[in-house]
Amino acid sequence: MSNSAEVRSLLDLPAARATPAPLQKKPSVASTRKPEGISRELFSLIGPSSTTLVTQLAKPRLKQKPNFGASSKVKWEWRPFKNGGRADALQLKHWAKASVGPEEEYQFAKYNVQRPTYTYSQEEYTNLLEEKDWTKEETDYLMNIVQEYDTRWYVIHDRYDFPGGLPRSMEDLKDRYCSVCRKLVRTRPWGGDEASKQLLLSSFNFEKDREVLRKKYITSLENRTPEQIAEEEALYMEIKRLEQNERRFKRERDDLLRTIAGIESGLPDVVEDEAQFSGIVVDTKRSKKKGGNDLDSPSTPLLSTPIAKRLPKSSAFDLQNCITRSDPPAQSSVTKAAHQPAFLRSFKIPYPKAAIAPKVTQALAELGVSHTRLVMPTAANVALLESLLDATANLVETKKLVDKLEYDIQVLQSRLGMQGSAKMEETEETDGGMDVDDADGEADDDGRAQSVVSTRSTRKQVCICCALASFALKHGPQHRRSVSISSVDTAATVSTRAGTKRQRRS
Amino acid sequence: MVNYGGDEVSALVVDIGSSSVRAGYAGDDTPKAVIPSSYGYHKPEVDAAMQDVADDPMNSSPRKFAKMYLGQFGPSVWREAMDVANPLSGGLISDFEPVTALMRHAIVDVMRCNPSEHPILLTEPAWNTPANRERMAEIMFEEFQVPAFYIANTGVLNAFAAGKGTALVIDVGQKMASVTPIVDGFVLRKGLAYSALPELVHSHAHNILKSPTQHRRGIDLYPHQLIANKTAVEVGAPPQFTFRDDRVKGTTETWRYWYEAREVDEWIQSVAGVLEQGWNDQAAASRPPRQYEFPTGYTAWFGGERLLVGEHFFHHSTALTESWMRRTNTSPPKPIPTLISESLRACDPELRQVLVGNVVLTGGGSLFAGFGDRLQNELIRTFPHVKIHSPGNPIERRYGGWLGGSVLGSLGTFHQLWISKEEWMEHGKAIVSQRCK
Repeated sequence: MSNSAEVRSLLDLPAARATPAPLQKKPSVASTRKPEGISRELFSLIGPSSTTLVTQLAKPRLKQKPNFGASSKVKWEWRPFKNGGRADALQLKHWAKASVGPEEEYQFAKYNVQRPTYTYSQEEYTNLLEEKDWTKEETDYLMNIVQEYDTRWYVIHDRYDFPGGLPRSMEDLKDRYCSVCRKLVRTRPWGGDEASKQLLLSSFNFEKDREVLRKKYITSLENRTPEQIAEEEALYMEIKRLEQNERRFKRERDDLLRTIAGIESGLPDVVEDEAQFSGIVVDTKRSKKKGGNDLDSPSTPLLSTPIAKRLPKSSAFDLQNCITRSDPPAQSSVTKAAHQPAFLRSFKIPYPKAAIAPKVTQALAELGVSHTRLVMPTAANVALLESLLDATANLVETKKLVDKLEYDIQVLQSRLGMQGSAKMEETEETDGGMDVDDADGEADDDGRAQSVVSTRSTRKQVCICCALASFALKHGPQHRRSVSISSVDTAATVSTRAGTKRQRRS
Repeated sequence: MVNYGGDEVSALVVDIGSSSVRAGYAGDDTPKAVIPSSYGYHKPEVDAAMQDVADDPMNSSPRKFAKMYLGQFGPSVWREAMDVANPLSGGLISDFEPVTALMRHAIVDVMRCNPSEHPILLTEPAWNTPANRERMAEIMFEEFQVPAFYIANTGVLNAFAAGKGTALVIDVGQKMASVTPIVDGFVLRKGLAYSALPELVHSHAHNILKSPTQHRRGIDLYPHQLIANKTAVEVGAPPQFTFRDDRVKGTTETWRYWYEAREVDEWIQSVAGVLEQGWNDQAAASRPPRQYEFPTGYTAWFGGERLLVGEHFFHHSTALTESWMRRTNTSPPKPIPTLISESLRACDPELRQVLVGNVVLTGGGSLFAGFGDRLQNELIRTFPHVKIHSPGNPIERRYGGWLGGSVLGSLGTFHQLWISKEEWMEHGKAIVSQRCK
């Protein structure tokens, strides 16, 4: 079709660079040359690739002889020179290279640099530079002497001697000179840029009062007696020691806090493993722990302030976020044993005592309640379950006692049967436990466990009923049979007391 | 050469001190010519004076000297009726006539130079008067026809020799001790403090030797030129010697006094010292005594008294102050610590710390045994960070001023400061104080 150039011009592309084809040819031409120190036969064998061999075979070259030839000879001549730094025609002589032209600039003349001078007209002086205790003559003198001694202020102050002038301190002179220069720079038209003008102005910045004060400090520092210096050093050492002590104390206290309070100490670098978990619990726990900490370390506002700040809005906040706060122990002794670290509530789910566990489980199973499966262990639920278990345990205990008493009664009745029935009746009356007798009577028919549950004493209903009721409300579908539980009478407690009394008597 | 900023124009450096005149090329490390400042002379006889004017107008003056004896074989050689004098008093040139002769001797006779071919750098003490330096410039331009001239301060030059631009220069010479604060190569004139302290030490040593003690008799300080023969005697035994009768009669009082002073100086240099830690009788007693033999053959051991000599550099006992007051009706020259504290007090408080950190100890008198250590101990009490620069090389110590001149005179940047003959002709004397600040 068309060649590449045409395509490129069509597409508005830049012309192609040199094609790679000729590039490839070049090195082959260059490398065919035989390097020195290697025979032609060998080279034709090994080719141009082995460069290491070449360096080994190359003839050793001797160091080039130093050339002391006539070409490097430098001719010096003793000749007069003109110093650009001089105003007169003094011609001193020195040794110079003959090659360097005599009309060349003297090489040290360039170091003769002068600061720019500031001069002012009478008009400028009266307009700008008037000052109370400076005359124009003295200002002129000052400007001259500053120029003469290149603003070496110590020297200027030393040599300053204006006839009939006031005695001037170095700060006076500096202040006057700088203020004059500042004013002149400010008011005159400025050729350069603003930055350089500011730089120049800042170089003339002089705070006299500060300088005077500084000098005074230096003087007072020098005028200390050896005793004062010793005292100062002693005080300094003391301060250092106290600071060190304080630091150590703080560090130790922090360590202690970290050990005791863990993450709740609020210290930045507590090493914690379960940051995610504790993050949830921190809020609850902190308030509790803080009470203890505040007593402990009243000197650390760092720890106590954030709590105090957070308290007022906490109740609403807690409600919203389902946060339950347990009251801190009023007089918590901060020991390791008393410390309660963060925990999951599921760890707090109550279990019946191991000794009576099977019986409790059995009793609850009869009621159709499963205490092992607490789906939502909220604080309230846990509390309810706990009271349920307590009540069940009590029930079981009571039943046990009832059984024992029954047995006792039977034994005693059989004994009475042998001795006579009169005494037996007496005992029954003094006891006053009529309900128990009733119950006993029924229990005999249906078996023990059944009888306890079905006891129909309405004398007193214990909290277990309410507990079960609310428990049932929350776990509605699961505990349908809770109603039957509510019928359980806890008069047993009374009878238990009576029982023990009797036992003691007999 | 360029790297060091040097550019030698074959300038001469001439340093005139109380004890010697030093002259040499700028750029050298030691002066080529060192000649005593004292000179011997014969008073002109009334009729002979007229002849001398015609004979030798250069070397002697018609009024004062019939003949002058300068240099190595000048005052030290016995000549009948030869007087000895020193043109300097209190470190300043008081008599320009012999100074001219001394400089001519050093430059022309010893160095074999033509002064009209070399720019000359002179030195002056910090308390030199303007009249004095103008007179000096006049002599250089009018009599020596130098192409260029400069007069520099010895304090500044000593600081330069130590490589410092800012320093507190403590210069102890033969006659004068001075403390000069130098800032950026300029003398702070208000802080200058100086006194004729070495003279006091010298006269005290003279007094010790001359006056008898319980161990020994007073010592006769006859120069060996007046002694014909002597026999070796036991230590402390009276000397046995005979005078050269031919010379004794023709000896002048000034020559004898000059020689006595020289004997005392030699004794000081070889025997005297100062305790490094301040005066303490026990420490002084624990130092080994030293033996010294005088030209008469008399030999003695010197114990505590040799250490007492140097004590006057640092502390004046009340007894000495009183005896000095009785004799001269003035208070004795201030000791070194007083000079230093006076000097520093006159300086800016900000500057004191800098100066104390750059103390330069120089001058032949500072070679006194134990001087440097004692000074260090004295200063460190008030200035814990004091740093004293004192060259260990005695040449650098004695000719520090000349050495600094040699450095300055060979700097390329210095050559614009020379007062040229042209400027001298044009401006006259005013140019000197204008240029040499």
